[in-house]
Amino acid sequence: MPMYQVKPVFGDDIKTDLPTCMYKLPNIHAQRSASGCSEHALQNGTEVVDPAFRDLEVRQDKIMRRLYELKAAVDGLAKTVTTPDADLDQTVTSLSQSPTATSFRGTADLDSLLGKDLGALRDIVINANPARPPLTLLVLHAMLCQRYRVLSSVHVHSSVSGVPAQLLSCLGPRHADSYVRQRFQLGFTLIWKDVSKLQMKFSIQNMCPIEGEANVARFLFRLVAPYPSDPALATLVDSWVDTAFFQLAEGSAKERSAVLRALNGALGRDPWLAGPELSLADIACYCCVLQTGPAASSPANVQRWLKACENLGHFGPANPLLQ
Amino acid sequence: MPQIDTAKPSPFVIRHREWGDFYAVFHIYDFCSRNMSVCGGKGVYGLLSCIERCSFLPCEPDRVLVRVQKLTPEKADQLIWVRARVHTSRAKGKQCFLVLRQQQFNVQALVAVGERASKQMVKFAANINKESIVDVEAMVRKVEQKIDSCTQQDVELHIERIFVISQAEPRLPLQLEDCVRPDGEGDEDGRATVNQDTRLDNRVIDLRTTTSQAIFRLQSGVCQLFRDTLTNKGFVEIQTPKIISAASEGGANVFTVSYFKTSAYLAQSPQLYKQMCICADFDKVFCVGPVFRAEDSNTHRHLTEFVGLDIELAFNYHYHEVIESITDTMVQIFKGLRDKFQTEIQTVGKQYPSEPFRFLEPTLRLEYTEGVAMLREAGVDMGDEEDLRSVYDTDFYVLDKYPLAVRPFYTMPDPNDKVCASLNKYSNSYDMFMRGEEILSGAQRIHDAQLLTERAIHHNIDLEKIKSYIDSFRYGAPPHGGGGIGLERVCMLYLGLHNVRQVSMFPRDPKRLTP
Repeated sequence: MPMYQVKPVFGDDIKTDLPTCMYKLPNIHAQRSASGCSEHALQNGTEVVDPAFRDLEVRQDKIMRRLYELKAAVDGLAKTVTTPDADLDQTVTSLSQSPTATSFRGTADLDSLLGKDLGALRDIVINANPARPPLTLLVLHAMLCQRYRVLSSVHVHSSVSGVPAQLLSCLGPRHADSYVRQRFQLGFTLIWKDVSKLQMKFSIQNMCPIEGEANVARFLFRLVAPYPSDPALATLVDSWVDTAFFQLAEGSAKERSAVLRALNGALGRDPWLAGPELSLADIACYCCVLQTGPAASSPANVQRWLKACENLGHFGPANPLLQ
Repeated sequence: MPQIDTAKPSPFVIRHREWGDFYAVFHIYDFCSRNMSVCGGKGVYGLLSCIERCSFLPCEPDRVLVRVQKLTPEKADQLIWVRARVHTSRAKGKQCFLVLRQQQFNVQALVAVGERASKQMVKFAANINKESIVDVEAMVRKVEQKIDSCTQQDVELHIERIFVISQAEPRLPLQLEDCVRPDGEGDEDGRATVNQDTRLDNRVIDLRTTTSQAIFRLQSGVCQLFRDTLTNKGFVEIQTPKIISAASEGGANVFTVSYFKTSAYLAQSPQLYKQMCICADFDKVFCVGPVFRAEDSNTHRHLTEFVGLDIELAFNYHYHEVIESITDTMVQIFKGLRDKFQTEIQTVGKQYPSEPFRFLEPTLRLEYTEGVAMLREAGVDMGDEEDLRSVYDTDFYVLDKYPLAVRPFYTMPDPNDKVCASLNKYSNSYDMFMRGEEILSGAQRIHDAQLLTERAIHHNIDLEKIKSYIDSFRYGAPPHGGGGIGLERVCMLYLGLHNVRQVSMFPRDPKRLTP
């Protein structure tokens, strides 16, 4: 029997954990990574970062994105208001000249249009006189660049002694990849030469050279978009193209004013010259009208249509040469 | 020998049996049987001896010789002196027509019996051997009808005094008119054209023709433009040794020379030394000098010795910088020839007609695979150079990215193209073509000693022989590339000629060592 018994002062159900380790050192490895990402702690999203801060960032990103989308939409709408029946897709992507644009047609289409690839780069060679630069073809070149990977180059032939600088850079800056020709689907070579009529050569075996800016424009346009299937509409396009080149560009002053009057009349009825959308006829007439005189000197409907064409943004390459 | 006719009253007039009277000789020279000297105040014609030609005419110290090129209607009615060669001389009764030639220019001259000239003088003029050099004092006269056969078409010389400075032998090994005749023409009239071997054997006379003068002036222009263009781009001209210890391009086509107790070789190209200069930090170099290739090929475009224009430069990021530099130099040369040497090109075109040379700026660059594809596409009917010409209308282009297997061991393989880890198919090398014939073979060179050794072993080359070459890359070498052209071949192809010997002054080939 115990001598003295003391009543327990506190309950005996309290657990205490006894330490198993004498000295505890912080884990140096864990600490290093922790200190390493302490600079990025804010972006890291670890438990170090205040979750509220993170949410704020996410919300801000979302708002910015929506703002940009709205801005683009408003721009598009603004253009639609002034430009009847414009294609919204084209307005959004028209100003970008990057060869990886989303509206991209495959090599299979090129094969069906131009014949099978034999290992050499399919090169479209155009011989033009620097006294009469072919603006229509520059515009079509820009449209080609959006659809395919095009290797463009400009050369000066020995029959011409000198060419102004803007004619040398009319096809845009040199592509970074131009060291390797095989990476491109199509070649576009413009040679400034002393020729009387513009000439295009391609695939000597199957084709004879094509002469005349109008005909080359038709060839290039077919690579970009098909001709309208309705024969009446196709004929209308063709007739406007011919009018543009024969009467507007090369005709006498009387012929030119007659054509401008005809254009005025046609544009009073419809927003575009042939059909509901921009077509080759519009491109050809735009270039020829502006080559013959400044925009301000044409009739009212023609001026409105000229403005509408400019808004579409395809005619960028032609503008520096029109000054 | 003139006889002094003592019967005549004045002792100062001498009568010659053949040549008539003339005033006396305050002579100084020798009357040896060959050189009849006439001089003095009133001598009118004759041969001059060596002594006189040097210490001439003390009475006319300020005589000025006019160039035939400058004989134009502006000089009409002036009395001038001309020194030229007698191209042709033709007597017609009381007159003798001479054509006097000076390099590319010639003018018609006339000796007529009259108060200034005697019948004997006319006969003397008609008998002067062709190609003799004469000094002529004459009056320049305008002509109503243009003289088509001469370059100076509007004037004619009426000779008052004529002296032969240097006489040519009467029988010439070849006739200059025959040399200049275009190839097709001769056959029709039954007149001969001269065959190339005869021309080359008598090169001194053949080089006097207007065509040859034009060709070599153009060649001089090419050299000049090459130097000027490169110097303006910051290149340094170097001279490399031609007696070397190891063959640079391969052992087969090299000349051996005895070198004291051992033997040495004549350089096949300045390749090794150009590269060493780049490793020595000269950055951009060029050299103009002879190149010796012991190729036993008797073709229209091979010589055993020719002038090589070589370029080598270090580049920054891509070997296409080298291609651009070389093609730009070539284009500047072509432009310079087109703008400043049109007369020469036209002159050559009269005897050897051809199409004018066409080129693009910047130069067209195609890849080897494309060239092959075009050949396949064209089939056997059309050569691929014609195809390129009809599409792009250029006589000058570059084919890039040749297969590695056909290039020398020092060519850098294409890093982007690996069939498997150690097997490259293509290389960073290029060839340039003029009128479908190759004029330059160049590449990026291997600048790493390790890789160079591997490639040399792969090509079974004895490493001992190229030890000093490989050593030059061990102490830091920049990436570099270059190429070399042959001066004669470039001139030949620019003018559209068909044989490189026409463009080399004294050509050397397996069968020809002289002149």
